[in-house]
Amino acid sequence: MSLTAPPVPYFFHRLRLAYSGLHPERVHSLVKASDPVEAVRMIETGRVKVSPAAREAVGVPAERRMEELASSGVTVALLGTDSYPPWLAAISDPPDLLFVRGALPTLPGVAVVGSRRATRYGINLAKAVGAAVGRRGAVVVSGLARGIDGAVHQGVVEAGGRGLAVLGCGLDRWYPVSHRRLGEALLDNGGGVVTEYPPGTVPEPWRFPVRNRIITGLSRVVLVVEAAAGGGALISARLGLEQGREVLAIPGDIDRATSRGCNELIRDGAMPVLGTADLLDLLEQEGIISQLGAGHRGFGPGDAEGGLEEAIGEAGATLEVLAERMGWPLTRLLVSVGELESEGRITRESGVIRLKKEHGRNG
Amino acid sequence: MSTRVYSAAMTGVTPRPVSVEVHLGKTNSKFGLVGLPDTAVREARYRVRAAMASSGYEMPRSEVTVNLAPADLPKAGSAFDLPIALGVLIADGKVSIRHPGVVAVGELALDGRVRSCRGVLAATLVAVREGIPCIVPREMAAEAALVPAVDLYAVGGLAEAVSALEGRMAPSSSRTPEAPTLPVPDMADVRGQEFARRGLEIAAAGRHHLLMSGPPGMGKTMLAKRLPGILPRFTGEEEMEVACVWAAANRRRPVRVRPFRAPHHTASVAGLLGGGSGIPTPGDLSLAHHGVLFLDELGEFPAHLIDALRQPLEEGLVTITRRGVSVTFPCRALVVAATNPCPCGWSNDTVRQCRCSPASVERYRRRLSGPLLDRFDVRVFLGRMETGEMTGSPGEPSEAVRKRVSRAREIQARRGGLNGDLSSAALDALAWSGKARRVLGGNIDRGNLTGRGYDRVRRVARTLADLGESERVESVHVLEALSYRTGV
Repeated sequence: MSLTAPPVPYFFHRLRLAYSGLHPERVHSLVKASDPVEAVRMIETGRVKVSPAAREAVGVPAERRMEELASSGVTVALLGTDSYPPWLAAISDPPDLLFVRGALPTLPGVAVVGSRRATRYGINLAKAVGAAVGRRGAVVVSGLARGIDGAVHQGVVEAGGRGLAVLGCGLDRWYPVSHRRLGEALLDNGGGVVTEYPPGTVPEPWRFPVRNRIITGLSRVVLVVEAAAGGGALISARLGLEQGREVLAIPGDIDRATSRGCNELIRDGAMPVLGTADLLDLLEQEGIISQLGAGHRGFGPGDAEGGLEEAIGEAGATLEVLAERMGWPLTRLLVSVGELESEGRITRESGVIRLKKEHGRNG
Repeated sequence: MSTRVYSAAMTGVTPRPVSVEVHLGKTNSKFGLVGLPDTAVREARYRVRAAMASSGYEMPRSEVTVNLAPADLPKAGSAFDLPIALGVLIADGKVSIRHPGVVAVGELALDGRVRSCRGVLAATLVAVREGIPCIVPREMAAEAALVPAVDLYAVGGLAEAVSALEGRMAPSSSRTPEAPTLPVPDMADVRGQEFARRGLEIAAAGRHHLLMSGPPGMGKTMLAKRLPGILPRFTGEEEMEVACVWAAANRRRPVRVRPFRAPHHTASVAGLLGGGSGIPTPGDLSLAHHGVLFLDELGEFPAHLIDALRQPLEEGLVTITRRGVSVTFPCRALVVAATNPCPCGWSNDTVRQCRCSPASVERYRRRLSGPLLDRFDVRVFLGRMETGEMTGSPGEPSEAVRKRVSRAREIQARRGGLNGDLSSAALDALAWSGKARRVLGGNIDRGNLTGRGYDRVRRVARTLADLGESERVESVHVLEALSYRTGV
């Protein structure tokens, strides 16, 4: 919807409430107790205790907020209107407002999530999944976080697919900052970036689990690529189940902490995915992707952000593989590898470079 | 009696003039031939007699004695037919010679035609040195044309050779305008394998011996075959040296292209280093002089063969002694070796499982160490890519790489030699940046580098600096050089 024509009652007040910075659940209960107008008044009069900054933020007139949003290219989708995705509206606690940059999808997508502290195994899988699904035209939803999320988006971008990133902060910033270019690439490819938080909201740890319900809510299928026990990705899986989404997981080594979450999900009934073909089959059954248009393309160069050591990974890597993963010019890579070696951080044997401190698993 | 007809014979790679002396005696119709002729030369008498008759010349009715001088130099082959016939005709007064002397080479057919034969290059080289014209079989004109500045008569028959002798025929130009160049496979065909490509370029630039390892099918052979195409173009002198070696081996080689020799691991020492019965001939090592010697499946070469290569490669010369005859051939070849990382080839591969036992891998690698292996300055591992590099865009063409290589070699020439030959002392004397020295020192302290490895890295670093046209060796060069010493 466009900001020039606010359609439903209380839009202005809902918008002002969003700027309060309160937990969405808290806002929701306030609104539920009376209505948005009353909720704003309660904050303004101090009957609801909030920080002075929050009260001040709520006090800013909605017209000014809308001007700000319009000038920064952000649109707002309001729950209950046509522009709001109905499958998101159907979850138990949908956000009242969605701040949107780029496009909102017209169909439910595929959530692909996982640990921020991912292994190279997980990163590769995430990229491959993002590329495979993106290439088939489905919307790939993730959180633009470090690790798996970022790799998923990267895969989508490289395959020329459409991705949707759900942020845990305002649209006036990127978190992590290093994923700024990735986020912009998503937008350039016709994807979108959304959040329930108004511009100016800084990333705080508690906001991320909350936004996970939007990631799953915007999707019909939730795939957990790699997750340790008790990670945020498992929260997404649980939310997905509660929202009636199909939850899938990619298995990993049973003795590795980084695979524990996924393996437990599978034990508890999540469908194991043993490859992109598996996943695409399921997506076809779910009607998320059509069976046509399965064109295949090679992958592009790797993520230039990740560090070289991360690219070497636990299993070690050859120079060819590193060149691909880093996407660097060869001489730059060789000099960097030489530096790591001079610092005694890697060993080389038979062309395979391994991190020294890790007890490398041999292939 | 003054001899004016010459031919040539090779001693080692040196072409030597052979003068054809003819004496006509009193007794009747005998034809003697002396001067260490082999069977083919001895039989020249019959061919000469028949060819002269067929061409309308009468054999002298007196005793003919032909001496091929110097008499102690062994002569072989059929190339002496034509000079002997011409020498006899001159001695008999049937033909006058307009030149101060002439070098002739060619086999005579019984009907008087001149056939192609070996030794044409040697003859032209002698002709240049003596400053006299050269008569060669027409079919061999291209090979003779390798040698600049010689008056060349390419003849089809004995009669034509006589008219050349008498000055009734104009010499063909000394050099054919465009000698045929064989197409060399191009680097553009190689997709991916950037690291190995870089290794190839460094090897070519500094003439560092190159060791490629990696699983089968990664393009090791393909890359090696493209190495001649990125080496600088022949200088005239180099081309001549190569031509002489090949002439000594009685081999014709494609002109204008740097040689590429790939001896099999079942080759004999004689085949590799040179030798053979009779006059020693050069082996593959020398045939690869100024070119590339490719040792595929290095791990399969027997140890004695590998050991035998070491000294010649260090000296750039190989000396063969046979029955008291000692011959020295040059062998400044760039050695490229390829090997699998283990007997089955798949150790360390990301997709296929290695089927070798750890002990057999250990044994295999131990065979690949030792004194010769120390000479491989540049070592690259060709690994599998994660995704399909086969679909990638074509690589950089050879000509572009060759330009950089040639430039780097010019810079080295100004310093007085190729980096692949630098000794420890010479390396010490080079200009190193402080940081480069610190990086080297740090790696020694850490045990990453030992004596020989230290020199190898320094040599390669110098070449990297030359490729980057840097006066001094900087730390980045050293850091990159560390990548080219990975073992098998």
